[in-house]
Amino acid sequence: MSDTAPDPIVPASPGHVPWAAGPARQAPSFLSAAMRVFDLSLGQMLWSRRTIFLGLIVGSPLALGVLFRVLEALGITGGVRIEGAQVSGPTVFGGMIWLLYLRFIVPVLGVFYGTALIADEVDDKTITYLFVRPIPHGAVLAGKYLAYLVTTVFVVLPSVVLLYLLVVPLGNGSLASSFPALLKDLALLGIGLAAYGAVFAFIGAYFKYPLVTGLVFAFGWEQLALLLPGYLRRLTIAYYLQALVPHSMPQEGLGGALQALFREVPPVWVSLAWLAGYVIVFIALAARTVERKEYVLEQ
Amino acid sequence: MTAKTRYFLIGSVMVLIVGLSIGLVAFYGGMPAGLFSGQNGPEELKYLPGDSAVVAYANVRDVMNSELRQRLRKFEGVTDEGRSEFKTRTGIDIEQDIDHVVASMGTPGPDAERSGLVVVTGRFDTSKIEAMAVEHGGKAEQYKGTRLLVMAHRAEGESAEGGPEMAMGFLGKGVVALGTADMVRRAVDRGAGGDNVPANAEMMRLVGGMSGESMWAVGRFDAISAQASLPAEVSERIPPISWFSASGRVNGGLQAVVKAEAKDEQAAENLRDIVRGFVALAKMQAGGKPGMQKMMPDVQLSGEGREVAISFAVTNEMLDAFEAARAMGEKFKKLDQDAPKQ
Repeated sequence: MSDTAPDPIVPASPGHVPWAAGPARQAPSFLSAAMRVFDLSLGQMLWSRRTIFLGLIVGSPLALGVLFRVLEALGITGGVRIEGAQVSGPTVFGGMIWLLYLRFIVPVLGVFYGTALIADEVDDKTITYLFVRPIPHGAVLAGKYLAYLVTTVFVVLPSVVLLYLLVVPLGNGSLASSFPALLKDLALLGIGLAAYGAVFAFIGAYFKYPLVTGLVFAFGWEQLALLLPGYLRRLTIAYYLQALVPHSMPQEGLGGALQALFREVPPVWVSLAWLAGYVIVFIALAARTVERKEYVLEQ
Repeated sequence: MTAKTRYFLIGSVMVLIVGLSIGLVAFYGGMPAGLFSGQNGPEELKYLPGDSAVVAYANVRDVMNSELRQRLRKFEGVTDEGRSEFKTRTGIDIEQDIDHVVASMGTPGPDAERSGLVVVTGRFDTSKIEAMAVEHGGKAEQYKGTRLLVMAHRAEGESAEGGPEMAMGFLGKGVVALGTADMVRRAVDRGAGGDNVPANAEMMRLVGGMSGESMWAVGRFDAISAQASLPAEVSERIPPISWFSASGRVNGGLQAVVKAEAKDEQAAENLRDIVRGFVALAKMQAGGKPGMQKMMPDVQLSGEGREVAISFAVTNEMLDAFEAARAMGEKFKKLDQDAPKQ
C-alpha cells in the first residue's frame, strides 16, 4: 500500500506546511480513504491486546478437538460421548459449529471488535486525528469495519478448518461427506461475522456504553427472542443464521426443546437477503451516525 | 501493511488452502479412508456375506456382567429360558463361554431365514459340543480343512425332518459359525477373503462409527421395515430412509444411539422435524411431573445432512425410579386384594 501520493491519514513529515504553495491537493475518494483507514487499522487490530482474547476464544475449540483426538488415540473414552452415548466426528463438529462458533464465538467477536471500532478511538481520544483528515467520516468507519472483518475472518475460518481436520475423523467420521457442510459453515461464519459486526459497529458509534448494550443484544435479546413464539425472532440475526446451518440443532434442556418446538426455518434466499440487509442498513446507519455525531472527548 | 501483518495473513490463507484441499481431495475420493482415522470392527466380520442387509455385534461378556442386566433380572424381564435352550442344542453356555457375537441377516424375502449367520467367539469344548451334536442326530464332516457339525433341521413339535440342514463350523481357535450348512460352508470360503462385509464400503462406513460400543446393529432400513410389518398408514408417512444403525453401551446404565440415514437432506429434515416434535412434546409432558421426569431418558436429537441421530441414556436413577414405581404398584395391588369386599 505504498505509493508516492501524500497520505491523508499518516501525519505529514516535520516541516511540511500543508497550506504552503504547491499543487492543489484533492481529497481522496470514499473508497480510497476507506482503504487507507483499513490498512492502518488492520495492523492495529491484529497486534492489539484484544488479539490475545481472540486467540484464546478461537483456540479453545481447537484445544478441545486435540483433547478428543488424544483421548480417542489412547482408547480412554471409546469415542466422543454426549450423555454417555457415542457420537460420530461429523456430529461433534456440527455441534461445535452450532454451540461454540455460531452461538458464542461469532457474537462475542462481533461485540468486542464491532463496538470498539469507533468507541476505542473516542476512549483513547485519538478520533480527532482521524476526523481532521480530509476524508469523509463514514470512510473511517467503513475502513475500520473492513479491518475487523479481515481480522476475524482470517482467524476464525482457519481455526474451523483445523477443527474439521481434527474432529470429523473421530469415530471413523468421513471427511468427504462432511466437506460440503464445511464449505457452508465457512460461508456462514463469514456472513455471521459481517452481520454481527455491522450491528455492533452501529451500536459502538451510537451508544455511550456500547459494550454493555452489545452484550445485552447478543446474549439477552437474541436468546430471548428465539425462545418466544411470534414475529420477534425475525428481529434477530441468529434466526436467519440458524436457517443456513447445515447441521441439525443440538437440543439443550427445556430451552432447546421450546426452541425446537417453535422452530420455523425461513428459506435460504430470505435468510441471505435479510442478513445482507442487516449489513447494508447497519453499516449505513453507523456511517451516518459517525458523519453527524459530535463526539465529546472527556478530559 | 507491516511485514508481520502480511505474514500473518499469508499463514492464515495457507491454512485455509491446505485444509480445504485435503477436504476436496477426500470429497473426490482420493483420500484413503484410514488416513485420519483407524479401521474398526471385529475381525469376524470377514465371515459374514458382503450383501448382508443387517450386521449386528454384541459384546456378550460386557452385557452379561453388566449391572444393567442384573437389575433387569429383578424386573423379570430377563429369564434363563433362551440361554438354557441354546445350551441344550449347542453345548455352549452363553454366560460363561462366549466373549462376543457377530451376526448377519440377508435381504428380506422368502429365503431370508436361510441367509442368517451367527459367528461366536469364546472358549468352546469342541469334543463335548461334537458329542452332544452327534447325540442329537448330527454328523461331523470336513469342509476345506474346517470341521463342521451338520444337523437336520427339525421344526419344533414336528417329528419329521424338514427345512435346510443346520451346521456349526469351527472356523478358528475359539471361533464358531452357526447357520444353515450352506451359509456355514460359505463362511469358511469367505474366511480366505472375497465378498464379505469388510469389502462392503457402505456397511463398513457404518460399522466404523461403532468402536467401543457393547452392542450394535447396522444395515439397510428396508430390511427392518419389512420385518416390522408396519401398517400402511404409518409406513407411508415415514420419510424414505436408506440406512440405519443402533448402538448401545452398558456401563452402569445403558447409553444408546439410533441413527437413520435418509434418502436425501429434505427427507432427513422431515424426519428430524417429526422426531423433534415428539421429543419436545414428551419433555413438556414430563415437565410438570417430577416422578415422570425421573423415569424419562434425556433424549438428544442430532445429525447433519442426511443423518438423523437420537441418543438417550437409561441411568441407574431411572432404574431406581422404575423399581420404586413397580414396588408401589405391587403394594397398591396387595392393598386392593386385601380390602374387604362389599
